[in-house]
Amino acid sequence: MNHYLKSFLQRGIAFGGFGPIVAGIVFAILELTLPDFSLGGGQVLLAILSTYLLAFVQAGASIFNQIEDWPLPLSVGVHFLTLFTAYSLCYMANSWIPFEPMVLLIFAGAFILTYAIVWLTVFFCVRHTAKRLNAKLNTKK
Amino acid sequence: MKCTVVIDPAAEEEVLIRAKQHSTLVEDIETLVRESDTDLIGYRDGEIAPLKLAEIYCFFAEGGKIYAQTVSEKWQMKQRLYALEAMLDHRFVKINQSCIVNVRHIKCFQNSFVGGLTVTLQNGYRDYVSRRQLKSVKERMGL
Repeated sequence: MNHYLKSFLQRGIAFGGFGPIVAGIVFAILELTLPDFSLGGGQVLLAILSTYLLAFVQAGASIFNQIEDWPLPLSVGVHFLTLFTAYSLCYMANSWIPFEPMVLLIFAGAFILTYAIVWLTVFFCVRHTAKRLNAKLNTKK
Repeated sequence: MKCTVVIDPAAEEEVLIRAKQHSTLVEDIETLVRESDTDLIGYRDGEIAPLKLAEIYCFFAEGGKIYAQTVSEKWQMKQRLYALEAMLDHRFVKINQSCIVNVRHIKCFQNSFVGGLTVTLQNGYRDYVSRRQLKSVKERMGL
């Protein structure tokens, strides 16, 4: 099996279980805050399966960065599209967002903005760490 | 002959011989030092070779096997990665669950877009630093 595919599956299996846990916490909060909140068995099952797959894909997608043959824009692009597709499908399958062009447009905008903020925050934090490590490396030489 | 031993955990280990001329004693010490740095045996296509730790850039797992990477050669090891980790000295640090690198052969650290850090060795070998190992890597580098 391809090394990267194997890592994708391993990471997905390791962290996929967090999806239903987060969904359960959100449902518990909704139940506490909305007096008439209720879910059917089918809806719960769909939420468990879809959030498991969502967490599986999100965890596995981190391997894209480590594919050495891919330049950075390709890695970022594939990572973004994978997450956007997974989130969109999960939200629409659970009817958390309606299948309407305007809603999807707003969802896409919010997703891009959130992704950019998270990406930039993480990028600059890690770059700072890399700089400090390189400085230490240079002093040792 | 005067003999001085300096114990300094932070210092790069070296043996300096200052002699008026080459002698059997000097040769014996040189041999002893060379042998002490040949700690491992590598295997490749029926060939067996002693490997000096100083020449090993990293150890990594691939396809269920463990390899030692020198500047341009890859040798299979008999030991598992955890056994190697236990026996290696301060020159080496584990960067993820399947790779241990020689700090002295690190070329640079680079950031990556999903929050990870990668290590590039002087021979071009590149691997990522896992979040789990980041703390020990930082400590090893003196941060």
